[in-house]
Amino acid sequence: MPSAPTLGAVSIESLVAQHYGFVWRVVRGLGLSASDSEDAAQQVFMIAARKLESIAPERARSFVYGAALRVASNARRGLRRRREVPEDAEADPPASESRGPERHAQLTQARALLAEVIAQLPEQQQRVLVLAEIEQLEVPEIAELEGVPVGTAASRLRVARQKFRELLEAARDRNPFLEPA
Amino acid sequence: MSSDPIDELSARLFEAARRERLPEGAQQRALLAARRELAAIPELTARRSNLVRASIAAAGIALAAGVLLFVRNREPNAGISAEPARPARPVSPQRAPAASETAMPAPSASAAPTPLPVPSGAPVPVRSAPASLSDELGSLKLASSALSSGDPRAALAALDRYDHVLKGKVMRAEATLLRIEALARTGQTGAASTLAQRFVEQNPGSPLVDRARTFVQQ
Repeated sequence: MPSAPTLGAVSIESLVAQHYGFVWRVVRGLGLSASDSEDAAQQVFMIAARKLESIAPERARSFVYGAALRVASNARRGLRRRREVPEDAEADPPASESRGPERHAQLTQARALLAEVIAQLPEQQQRVLVLAEIEQLEVPEIAELEGVPVGTAASRLRVARQKFRELLEAARDRNPFLEPA
Repeated sequence: MSSDPIDELSARLFEAARRERLPEGAQQRALLAARRELAAIPELTARRSNLVRASIAAAGIALAAGVLLFVRNREPNAGISAEPARPARPVSPQRAPAASETAMPAPSASAAPTPLPVPSGAPVPVRSAPASLSDELGSLKLASSALSSGDPRAALAALDRYDHVLKGKVMRAEATLLRIEALARTGQTGAASTLAQRFVEQNPGSPLVDRARTFVQQ
């Protein structure tokens, strides 16, 4: 019997279609540049392809999330070896919904500032913040992905938000959305 | 919800992150890479292990046949009496001890030089085999590892060795599929597509055909 590219309960097509954006934004949110995020996301789905038969549909997002964390961690380690600071958004402008050079510059600065502030948080807090604020997931979903009790996830998120706020306050003079006086 | 400037800044930063567009074509590229991974690794592994099992069995039979041929062909030269050829009789473990059975009738002049009929499809004695199965597997493993580590040119070199030096036959389908993938990864998508199309046409019953089809350009 010929085997199609779909080997397990999930097909690689549906996995990529449903979770590519999620994976890309997670690794991007964890500090990779846009192009490194693409490489990392691609690696995640290559890993998923190799493990496809063991991925249950209801665990697909958890699987790609776990793989994304590992790939992003490796990528960041590699970047740290090559340079002190991870490649920032200015070196790799985001493909945002820009409506002109000013808007594009503003979004680029926003992306750089966000990456810089998130990078100062402990990794656990980075993850819950990205899941909550960029992916807009609910705490129970975050808990499931992180493999922790809901209370733990809620607590981590609360601390992460507080810490993020403090760091952002320290960088408020670089607010890219301030209107020129 | 709040007019606090930090909260507002925070909200706008996250909004910018959410609205960031994926790189053009990134999702499609990831899908292609994943399909290639799917095509190259699990199928190859499964096919390889099946083929290894089958080939080990075949090699065992071939070796037994080769040894038998060797023993049988040597019997007349050794000047020892041997029983006459029994064309329809299957191979028996008593053949070698029969050399010492002096009570057996002497072979007739016509029976002595008669070579043992080689069964259809049986390989010639092992000594003359051009490349061993492990050579073939080694070459393909090298190609597969090179692809996995992102070096398709090294994979192509290993496959060239498989084709031209080893003249591999047992794992030819897997070698072709690896070549298709290696070509695609070096950017020779046209050549990969042509080879894949040919593979699909020539191997309609192969379990690898669906994999090959993913490389055929529309």
